[in-house]
Order: sequence, then C-alpha cells, then structure tokens
Amino acid sequence: MPQVHNWQLNREVEFPYEESRPERQWAAMFDLNKCIECQTCTLACKTTWTHEEGQEHMFWNNVETKPYGAHPIGWDKRTLEDMGTMEWDGDTYEGDTIFETEDVDWDDPENHPTEERINEDVAGFMPDIEDDWRYPNLGEDETAGEEMDLDVHFDEDTHPIWFFYLPRICNHCTYAGCAGGCPVQAIYKRPEDGVVLIDREECQAQMVCNETCPYKKAQYNPAETISQKCVGCYPKTEDGRAPQCFETCLGKIRLHGYINTPEEADDSDPMAEPTNPLDFLVHQKEVALPLYPQFGLEPNVYYIPPTTAPVDYLEQLFGPGVEDAFETYRAIGDGEEPALEGLLNLMGSTEWSITAFEVDDGEAVGYYEGDEVGRVPITEPQTERDRVDEVDGEEVYRLDIT
Amino acid sequence: MVDTDPDRESGPSRRTVLQAGAVAATAGLAGCPALEDDEPDDDDERPMNVFSEYPDRDWEEFYRDIWDVDDTFMLTCTPNDTHNCYLEAQVTNGTITRLQPSMGYGEATDLQGNQASHRWDPRVCQKGLAMIERFYGDRRVHAPMVREGFLEWAEDGFPRDDDGSMPEEYAQRGEDGWEEVSFEEAYDLAAETMLEIADHYSGDEGQEMLLEQGYDERVVEETQGAGVRTMKVRGGMPLLGMIRLQGMYRVANQFALVDNYVRDVDEDDALGAVGLDNYSWHTDLPPGHPMVTGQQTVDFDLANVEYADNIVIMGMNWICTKMADSHWLTEARMKGAKVTGVFTDYNATATKCDELVTVRNGTDGALLLGVARQLLEEDMYDEEFVRSYTDLPLLVRMDEGRLLRASDLDEDYEPAELEKTVVTDDDDDEEVADDRLEDGELDVWENILSEDLRTEWGDFVVRDEDAEEFVPVTRDEIGDDFDVPASLEGTFEVETVEGDTVEVRTVFDLLAEYLESTWDADSVAEVTGASPDAVESLAEDIGTSHESTLLLTGMGPNHYNNQDLFGRASFLVTSLTKNVGRFAGNVGSYSGNYRGAYFNGRDQWSGEDPFDIELDPDEPATTNVRYDMQSAHWYSHGDRPLKFDDDGEYDPEDGEYYMGDSHMFTPTKFMWTSGSNSILGNAKGAYDIIQNMLRNGRIEAYFTNEWWWTKTCEYSDIVFPADSWAEHHLHDITASVTNPFVMTMPTTGLDERIYNTRNDAQIYAGVAEALAERTDDERFTDYWEFIDEDEYRARPYLQRVIDHSNPVAGYDIDDMLEEAEEGVPKLIMTGTYPKFMGSRQTQEDDPWYTKTGRMEFFREEEPFAEAGESLPVFREIVDGTPNEPHVLVDGGDHPLIDPETPEDRGWDPDQRDGDLRQVRNVVLSPDELGETSHPLTDRDEGFRYNYMTPKYRHGAHTFANALPNIAVWWGNYGDFDREDERRPYIGEAYLEMNPEDARAEGLEDGDYVWVDADPEDRPYRGWDEDDDDQYQVTRAMLRVRYQPALPPGIVKSWMNLNAASHETVAAHEAGLEDDEGDGEARNEETDYVSYYRYGSHQSATRTWFRRTLLTDTMARKEYAGQDIDVGFRDDVHCANGAPKEAFVRVEHAEDGGLLDEDDDERERLWRVAEMGLRPGYEDDAMEQYLDGEFIETGGD
Repeated sequence: MPQVHNWQLNREVEFPYEESRPERQWAAMFDLNKCIECQTCTLACKTTWTHEEGQEHMFWNNVETKPYGAHPIGWDKRTLEDMGTMEWDGDTYEGDTIFETEDVDWDDPENHPTEERINEDVAGFMPDIEDDWRYPNLGEDETAGEEMDLDVHFDEDTHPIWFFYLPRICNHCTYAGCAGGCPVQAIYKRPEDGVVLIDREECQAQMVCNETCPYKKAQYNPAETISQKCVGCYPKTEDGRAPQCFETCLGKIRLHGYINTPEEADDSDPMAEPTNPLDFLVHQKEVALPLYPQFGLEPNVYYIPPTTAPVDYLEQLFGPGVEDAFETYRAIGDGEEPALEGLLNLMGSTEWSITAFEVDDGEAVGYYEGDEVGRVPITEPQTERDRVDEVDGEEVYRLDIT
Repeated sequence: MVDTDPDRESGPSRRTVLQAGAVAATAGLAGCPALEDDEPDDDDERPMNVFSEYPDRDWEEFYRDIWDVDDTFMLTCTPNDTHNCYLEAQVTNGTITRLQPSMGYGEATDLQGNQASHRWDPRVCQKGLAMIERFYGDRRVHAPMVREGFLEWAEDGFPRDDDGSMPEEYAQRGEDGWEEVSFEEAYDLAAETMLEIADHYSGDEGQEMLLEQGYDERVVEETQGAGVRTMKVRGGMPLLGMIRLQGMYRVANQFALVDNYVRDVDEDDALGAVGLDNYSWHTDLPPGHPMVTGQQTVDFDLANVEYADNIVIMGMNWICTKMADSHWLTEARMKGAKVTGVFTDYNATATKCDELVTVRNGTDGALLLGVARQLLEEDMYDEEFVRSYTDLPLLVRMDEGRLLRASDLDEDYEPAELEKTVVTDDDDDEEVADDRLEDGELDVWENILSEDLRTEWGDFVVRDEDAEEFVPVTRDEIGDDFDVPASLEGTFEVETVEGDTVEVRTVFDLLAEYLESTWDADSVAEVTGASPDAVESLAEDIGTSHESTLLLTGMGPNHYNNQDLFGRASFLVTSLTKNVGRFAGNVGSYSGNYRGAYFNGRDQWSGEDPFDIELDPDEPATTNVRYDMQSAHWYSHGDRPLKFDDDGEYDPEDGEYYMGDSHMFTPTKFMWTSGSNSILGNAKGAYDIIQNMLRNGRIEAYFTNEWWWTKTCEYSDIVFPADSWAEHHLHDITASVTNPFVMTMPTTGLDERIYNTRNDAQIYAGVAEALAERTDDERFTDYWEFIDEDEYRARPYLQRVIDHSNPVAGYDIDDMLEEAEEGVPKLIMTGTYPKFMGSRQTQEDDPWYTKTGRMEFFREEEPFAEAGESLPVFREIVDGTPNEPHVLVDGGDHPLIDPETPEDRGWDPDQRDGDLRQVRNVVLSPDELGETSHPLTDRDEGFRYNYMTPKYRHGAHTFANALPNIAVWWGNYGDFDREDERRPYIGEAYLEMNPEDARAEGLEDGDYVWVDADPEDRPYRGWDEDDDDQYQVTRAMLRVRYQPALPPGIVKSWMNLNAASHETVAAHEAGLEDDEGDGEARNEETDYVSYYRYGSHQSATRTWFRRTLLTDTMARKEYAGQDIDVGFRDDVHCANGAPKEAFVRVEHAEDGGLLDEDDDERERLWRVAEMGLRPGYEDDAMEQYLDGEFIETGGD
C-alpha cells in the first residue's frame, strides 16, 4: 500500500501513487483579511482561459462567501458530511483522508486507478454537471452567527455575525486527487514546477477527476467532451510572471512563489537576507494555512485566515493552526512583525512571482531568481508641495480647493 | 518507477473505450456515472507514476498559444466609479481578446520629482476585464438609430396640437420600432429638430404656448423668451472625459449661435442652452459640506487611511464601491489602525472592521449628534481649535435668530479691510473674476467677495472671556490670527445701536443646549436603533484620536433627504476633535467623481466664445459662457416648481414658492445627453419621467450618445453610436477625487472600428456642421476646428485646459500621452500627495468660503430658520421610515428650533402626502417620535419596510452589470442556462429581506414578490391599476432572498440593475406564453435586457426637494475658482434628491420553485433551499458545518 508523507497532517497517508515531489512546487498565499470578492481574479482567468462554448459554467478561479457560498453548490459541506467528524491530535491528523475513508487497499490492483474506476472508493460526491454548477455566487454576503438587529454593536476580535470571502483555484496538490483518481492517467504533475495538468488530448471524459478532486476544481466541458482545470498559468510562470488571478488581484491578497517541505524550508531572516516568502509565511511564521488539509492531498495554496470569523469554523477549513496564525497576524499591528508587514505590502505590487524577498530601510524588496522584481515603501510617502510653483516663468498655485 | 512507458502509444487512454466520453457525459447528467469496467490490455503492466513522469507533453503548447498575442495597446476605463484605470488591451487577429492592468501607476511622477509607489498597482477590476464582452457585444449601438414615430413627426413637418405641443401619437417612446440611418441623416435630423424647437418656443408666442401647456408662470418666464432655454444637455459626469462629456457643455454654449439665428438677436444678447447638473443630480453632493465650509465637498484620497489611527466609515460600502483602494483600508487595519463601521447591515465592509455599529438607515446624523454631546460632556473636544476655526464662539442674537454683527453694537463700525479676501465691486459673475485673473489683477489663490456681500455680511462678534468685552471678529481672524480668549459658553446681554437690550448666546452654547436636552445615549438609541454603548464607544475613539481620525461618509447617509444635516453633524464631530484638513484627520464624503474643478480651466473648452473662436491651436481661447446651468431634479419632478397653495397643493397659477429664485428652471422640451443612463434609464422616479414627460410628448426630442444600448436609449428619439473606450480616435483627459492621478487617453490600437461609431465630440461636430449648412453660419464648424482624427485629435483644446488649470498647469499633453501609452498616469499637483482638502483653511489660516470664514454650524438664513434648522438638528427622513416622516427632533423646546408649522401656514395638520411633506415642519421629542407611524402604515398595514437601494460591486452604476460574465455573479440567482424560464436574464434582481420578516409575510426564499411604494405617486403619477399595459411594465417584481445580514424592517435591492422597459416586458411575456418557454426579458430589436421581469428598484423612488438646499442667500464658493457668492450653483448648492427614500409593501407574487412538467405544478421551493443549504432552511449537517463541528481539534 503506497504510503506517502504529508507534512501538513504530520503523518504518512495512503495514496494511490508513491511519493514523488517535483523539483520545485508552485505555491500561493492568499490573505483572506484583504479579499474583497471583487471577482477580478475570476474574470482575469475567465477571459484568458475559459471563454469558449462549453465553458460557460467553468470558473477555474472563483471567490465564494463563507459559510453559505459554495461553488459547486455545497461542495465542502457535502464532502465533510460524507467524511464525518475528523480528528486532530495536536499537529497530527488522526482522521481519515478522502483516500482513506473507505479503507481501500491501493496496493490491490483491483483498486488502482488504472485498473478500476474508484469513484465509489473516495469520500465526496460527483457534482451534477448542470445543476450543481449554477449560481456561482450563491450565498454572497450572507451572514451566519447571531441574529441581526438594529442595536447590534460589537467590538470583538471574532465577529458574532460574520461571513468572509474564500477565493479558490486549483491547489496543485502534492498528492493531487484528480490525478490520483484518473483512470486513464491523463492527469499529471509537472516535475519542474508541480503544476497539475489534465492532458486535453488524452482525457477520455471519465470525469472521475470531477469526483476525486475534493475541491471540485476539475470540471467537465460538454462542448469538448473533456474535463478541464486551472493550469496554474504555466505559460506565464515559466517566464517568472505571476498567474493571471494574481497579477490582477486588486485586493492585493495574493502572492505567487514556490514552497519547500518543512525539512528543506528556507530558514533565513528576511530582515537580513533574501528569503523564500512561502517558506517564511508557511514554515517560519505559520501564519498561512492549507485549505482542508484533512482531505489529505497537501494542497499548495495557503491562506491567512480572516481574523473576524469564528475559530471553530476556520479550524474546520484550515486545521488546528488558526489561533496561532491570528496571534502572529495581529502582532503586525503592534509593530512586532516588520518582515511580515513588509511582505504583505509587497504582495500584489509586482506582476512577477517572488522567489525571495527582504525588508530593509522601510522598504520591501522582491526578487525572482535573483532579479529585483518589486520594491515598495512600507509607508506611502507624503509630499507637501510648495503653494507657488513656477512654470515657464509664471507662478502657478498648487491648491487643494480649485 | 519506470521512466517511460513503452505502451504509451496504445497506452493509458487507449485502455478506455473512446466512446466513454459521451457515455460519461450522459451518466454525469444524472449525477452518478456508472460505466462498464474497461479491462487493461496487460494485467502485469505497472502503472507509470504521473507524479514523476509523463511521456508526451507537446500538447502544453495549446495554452502557450492562447497566452501569446499579436499586439497590445493601452486604453482607459472610465466608468463613474472614481477610479479610472489604464488597461492593456491584448490583441490577436485584430480582436481584443483580454485586458490586463497596466502596472504603471507606481511610475507616476509630477513636475517636482514626486513619485507614487507600486502599492497603487494593480488598478483594474472585474467590470473592466469583462469589457471585452461590451466592446463586441450585441448591445453595442451599431449605427445611428432613429425612433420611427419621431422620424415620422419630422417627416410630417413637426405638426403640433393646439397648445403647440408634440402630439402624443408621435411620442410612443419605448414601443416604436427603430430605423437605422446614416450619420449624415442623423446629423441633419438633429439639426433640423434643434432649429425647429428653438424657433417654436422663442418669443411671446413661444411663451404663450408654454403657459397653455400648463407650465408654471415663473418657469416660463425663466426662458427669457428664448426657445434655446427650453433645450437641455448633459454630458454624464464630465470629469470622466473633458472632450467627450464636458464637450456637451460646449454644445450648450454653441446654442448661442442657434439663438442668434432663430431670434435674430445681437451676438451679445444671444443665449446658450441649459446645461444640467451632474453630482447633485446623482444625489452625491453632500450639501452639508457647503453649508459648513462653502466648498462643494471636503475629502481626501482614500490612501490617507495609511496615516490614521482611527478610521470611521459611515454608510460607505468601501469594499464594494471603492474596490481599487480597498487594500489601503485592509493594510491600515493590518498595521494597527482601528476601523469602525457604521452601517445598517452586516455588509462587505463590515468584514474588514474592528467595531461595528448598526443604525436604522437615515439616522446616522442622530448618532453623530449623540457623539458630539458625549465629546462635550466628557470634555474630549479641542477648545482652541473650536475657538479659532469654527463659528462656535460667535454670538447669536436671540431676538432675530441671526449672528450678532459688530455694526449692531457700534453705529460707526466700519467693516475692516480684509487681507485674506479680495473684495471687488464687480465680481457679479464668474466671468468678471476670470477676466481679472487673466489681466493679472487677481491671483488664482485669492478668495474673492463682492463689495455688496462684504457689506451685507459685515463683521461678527465674540465675547472676550477675560476682558468681559464684546469684540468684533472678521473673516481674516482665523487660527493663529485670532487671539481673543472668546467665551464658548454663556448667555449675555448687549445694547444694540437701536438702544435695545438683546440677549445673545454663543453658537456653542446654543448647540450644547440642543445636544444636552435631546441627544443622550438613550435618546440616540430610541431614534437610531443603535445600542447606547455604541455612542459612547464612538465618542471615546474619536475623542482620543485628535488629528488622527478619518471620518469617511458615503452614499448611505448621503442618499437620504436629511443628508445636509448629516453632513453638518459629521463636520461638528470632526471639528470638535481637530480632525479637519490633515493627512490623518479629516472628513470625507464619497460618492461620485464630482470635482470637475480639478480642471478649473475647463471654460477654455466648454466656455469658448462662439462668436470669437480661436483658430490658432497654440493660442488660448476667449471665454464667454452663454449657457445656464440648472438642476435636472425639476425635469424629474414633472417640471413643477416647489410651490404650494393655501390648501397645500401644487397649483401652477397660485401659491407660494418654497425655493429660492436663483434655483428656478425652464420647461424641458429637448434633451441631449452623452454617456448618461442615470438621467433617465436608472433615474430616481424613472417611470414618472417616462410616463409623464416622454410618452405624452411633453419632451419633444430626446437624443442620446451611447456605445452600449441602455434603458435611456430605449426611450430616446435619436441614439448616436459612440466609440467604445477601446476605440478612441480623439484624446481626452480625466482625474479622480479618490486617487492622485490625472490621466490622458491615448488613441486606439485597433486598425478599424468595431461598429459604425464616432467619438462623442465628432458627433457634436457633425451636428454642428449640419447646423452650419442650414443656417449658413460657418462659426458652427469653426467651433469644432480641432476635432479630427488625423492632425489634432483635440490636443489643442486639452492643452488650453491644462494650461489654465492649476493642478495640472505645466504639463504637456504630448508628454502625458507618451507616458499614457505605457499605462503611466501623471500625479495631479494639488497641495499634497496624497491629496486632501482643507489644509489651507485649518493649518495655514485662510478663510473658508463662508460668511465668517470659519466652519459654520449656525445658519442664519431665513429658509433655515423657517425650517427649524439653524443648528445641525436631526430630522427624520422624508419617506423611508416607520415613524412619522420628516419631523424635526428636539427634546427640549430649543429657542431656535421654532419652524413654520402646518398650522402657521394654514394647512391641514393631517395632510402628510409626499409632496407637502417636503416642506412640512413638525417638532417632536425622541420619545414622541417613537410613538408615531408612517401615514402609509395607517392606511395599509402591509406598508412596513424601509427600502434601501445601494450600489454594489458588480456594476458601476449600470456600467458592465449586464455583461454575461458579470451578470452571473449577481448574488444567488446567476444562472447561465436560465433553467427557470421566468428568469429575465442570466442574473436577476432580488429583494433582500430579514428571514423573520419574510416568514411573517409567508414568503419563502426564492419567491417572486411585488414591491410597492406610496401609491400616490409611484410607480408614476397617475397610474391606473386597470391600465395593465402601463402599470404592469412599471410595477416592481423581484425575487426575494432570505438575508440574515439585514435587520428586521429593512429591505434592500441593488441600484445597479437594468430596469424593465416596455419591450423587455413584452418579450418576457411573449416568451413565457409560447411553447419555447424562453421568457428572457430582451428587446429583440435593440438587445436591451432587463434584470427585472417588471418595473425596477426605481419604481419605488421619486424626486424629493429640501428647502434649505434651495436658498438664494447661503454663501458658497463657485464651482471652480475662489469666488464666493450666494444662491444656486450646480453641483454645489442645489437640489439633491433622496434616491433611497421609499417605504414599501412586499407581497407574494409567485412561488420560487420550478415548474414540474409532469403535473404542471410549481415546486414551492427552489432547489438550493430544498437541499437545506440556504439560511433559514439548514438541515442538520448544514448546522454542523456552520458551527465547525466536522472537526475535532482536541482541547476545545
């Protein structure tokens, strides 16, 4: 039985394939405290990759309001319901992953993806290719928690009435469920960057990936009779450029780079030298957390959880590190995390992927493969202009009220 | 693992039968694919590991090919959202395939070497990116279109009824078909119509006809006998395009040539047409700002939150409507600033706040008065600032309710010589001041005041606390230049020159009495619904953050009828705490992109003298503004003035005007608008304009320039096709009130236009050419000399404006364009970067544009006293309240809150209809207010919801909202397939409602409901339930949505959505009736689609006036320049409406479920509610999910 190491769960997990990590792993960080659900990311992706007939319902990137929003309809609630209550013991996940839930022996040839369709054997559900993909912004801006009334007033870290936004793309998982399930081996993970792709020429529309991706990021295209998914904008990242949904993110919540395992993580200090930003956020600061790590796929999009939402709900989404992440994030406001503050300002201010960053003299600087690709002040400079300016020998007044 | 798979050729995919795809698709439809197992070719073969190898990756070229483009160019996205973005168009095979942010904002510089940082990048949004669907969409205006009935009217020689009006048979706007014509034909028809109407309504005969048509006498008189003054134009939010939109006001000026021709008057006497207002028409003006400061609006670039410790956001859904600058807010919060939101619901912005205060909408002003009271009581105000920068120490005569003047106490008092204000004897109008500026007699920065006003206003009096003496104070004595230890509190007696002993009190004292007697935290709670703690908490935060609180106010409070009182209260709180005119301490009002005054040299373009045209491109123009500005609110009020007779009714021949004469307007017989769907299609009270102004022939011609067919086009007579923002063939310039950039517009990189369109200015020029031919007057063509596609492309006009506008003077248009082509704007050169208003007045001690030069909280003018509003009091809003609307709230019988009541005016005290309510003054205490009810509820208990219609993220007004890939994101009902055939479009309008309220009404999530406001005047005056055709089109139907974010009693829908037109309703109904079952609400001829099956959010709105916004005596600065004057000024002191005012009834119309074709029965619930996933419908698992119970982390 293939056992692979999942550092997010701090244990070996079962998976249909042997562990094999890429040379470097495409990775992302989204700060949910900054997401505004403008769907600019969604439109950037849509207008670039999925605007053809058959792709009307297809949003490789979407942003949903939690907890009532979900695209496809009810995707995570329905999967969790199928998995049952999942237990953590400290940093170690004790429950079953989606590939463990049904006690499938993946060594048995009968169960191998290339031998047998396995849709009965993983947790989750098969989205109805029409009905479940309607209403992509279902639940937008709808609240959970206490009842709303006119006398509502609160000043608490956790809002008693709440919602937040969750932008979602393919997680380019280390143990991609779509690839793990594909019965025709038409889905693969690129060794050079870890991007997970569906081979459009080899896909046979078995649609198993639609089911075995618990994030529901592989989706059927009826016009082309293939499934399709986020390509990580590899035509851009191959040149060092951040993917479309990152470059256009006007909430400036997204950072694109490459992540290492905890063992190989960059432990340098960005106040002193250029440091891998994903390693810094995920491994050093532990402020950014994976989405539904308990699914067992080692997803590679990391989220800073929104500080206003309840911890119980967030732990369900991001695992047990939520409160520690909050503490670190809030320390920025007290001036205790200058490097983190610098990085979160730099993020989104460049169209490049960032493989290293440093903070120095009030500025945050980003690098891609050694080249400087971004530089921003941590506090925007102020200027007070002289009231009288001279242009071509004539006085010009620089007034506020014109 | 094996490195290669020898069987790859016949490999993995071949192991699956090829037809499986189709089978799977079918199975997938049923939700449970179940295929036959496919046996592998070779049982012994070990599978390759797709996590380490993959044999043939050539197919990856597919996506690289999609990414590659042939060419790029920079375009400018300029909807009315205050952002303005350079977007890089990526072109393949001559078609724009996608748009990208320019990432060039961080390169923006000014002439002094300042530079923005890349923290401003990217600037882009989903609506901008979706524009590719708009450039190429079916709804583009493809070519000039003329309404058939209108064409017929012209071809018949403009026949008229006996009273001289357009016969109704020619005015079937909205139902007639369309004829495509050539540009030449359209220009000629437009010119012919313009000359016809100008001529028809000129002279005594013209005036006679207007009176016969029932227009008010004074309204007719206002035309001065010139037909051109019944002709109105509007370039929608002209700051968004100096050439394209402000150019419409050049058209207005050019009408002087028309007047010269039709009336044969001297050139000097020729009048231009009427220009309609913008900012104030959109109800975006914060009228309290000019009441306090004399300036249109005080604000700051949103980036200033970077510097504040305390950020208070009131009724501004920043996260949705100021998306491009949201990161400044989230970053400020991350860095430790406290963010407090004051909203009516838990909205998108609430998620980014540390503290949330909820209030009943329209009561924010009362909350602030409670905060002000607390600041006084807890001694948390800055006495020195208040004393030297506000009118609070000034003395008020209690006998006359006006400010005490130095001349009241000293017969020989001579008003002091002013050093900070130039007093002239000839600045009756802006032009004279402009001339004096040009002649070097004045400096551009100098405040200018006429001798008459200077004398009339005089100097004021404070009491020296130490010397116990009364001391004169001039408008120069501000800040450090005011060194009197003036009393703030106290009642005193003075001897007047008449020999009377008169009681005087400081403004501070009067205010303190009002606050003390009325606005304790419990009374605030009674009126606003807010928790009493909230008042104290807000006061504490603001009171301890002097010079470090930014108060941002938005459309929420601005869009209610008491908006001016709210604005005054917001200044009161910020003035008390020294939070005005600083990087980190200021007040701002955020709605609209209103400051056309950034280009204060714009008259070089729109005000060029049409009788003295400068044809040398390098020379400045001679200006002579011939057009008159008016408020468009009168047009949406049936061209009726605010006038009531003894019975409290409108009567054109009798009654008293409750409006200043300077606000008077003319009849509307002709309209021409550019880029302006807000003027009709999405206007407040749109159906009243349609039914009572357009479909009865009252307006005789309605021309529209658009590049996308709007509802305004649906009801127009000629629709001119404008170039899209991807197809500029002329240059242009724009700026923004929320960011520090000034942007020029490069020309298109497309080889050809997509449709048969022209730049708006070319359309103006085209009509001018037709006028030249008909009048044999070449000046019409000369007036547009530099409007061409080859040589000038409008650059000389732009350079003239730049040279004469002080925040951009020194820039060269060609240099700007060169950088613009790289997506780099320039920094606008106001006093600071980032910019903010008020530093000159609060830090350099220059006077504000008020009588006293100080921030004024006391208004002594008669209309204020009559209304009981001399002080910043609280008034209930005029319609959207469960209480008695529009009453003044005073808990203590304040001596200055003594308005003219219905009894005083001889009106029936029970007469509470909407019209009269606008000028009806009744004073109640907070407790008494709580015991009242809305007059509609008294008639029909179903009326019990306060209906708000704010703006949302998926549209900028109606821009981009109907593009398919935007429409599908509009909340819960976006569905590309439109599975439910009743759905009018991909997206659908919905009414959000508290789930408890909905249940009480027997409504399920997803039901269709009717929403009705006051039947007296909505959906339009004179509607008739039996007239199915008209009533059905205009009565609002929406889908109801359970929205737990809303408190009970308040319902909401978004204002951005396209409304039903006659043809969308017809198409929807025809579609539902036929077997196809496609009920899409799309006018097949024009492709206009509605988000509503019937009516719209504007079915519930109307125009509302306020007396205090219509004075002839209140001081205010002119729109541009430093000239201080009184009375009407468009977009400054002007009618401002109240577009969110509606009190409604919500009634079940249809169930929300799908029709079951087997039994022809409709399901009660729509699918998602049935699945247990909707608020109010949660199944057990959903409850567990919401509570986070699917995880066990141990220990908690």
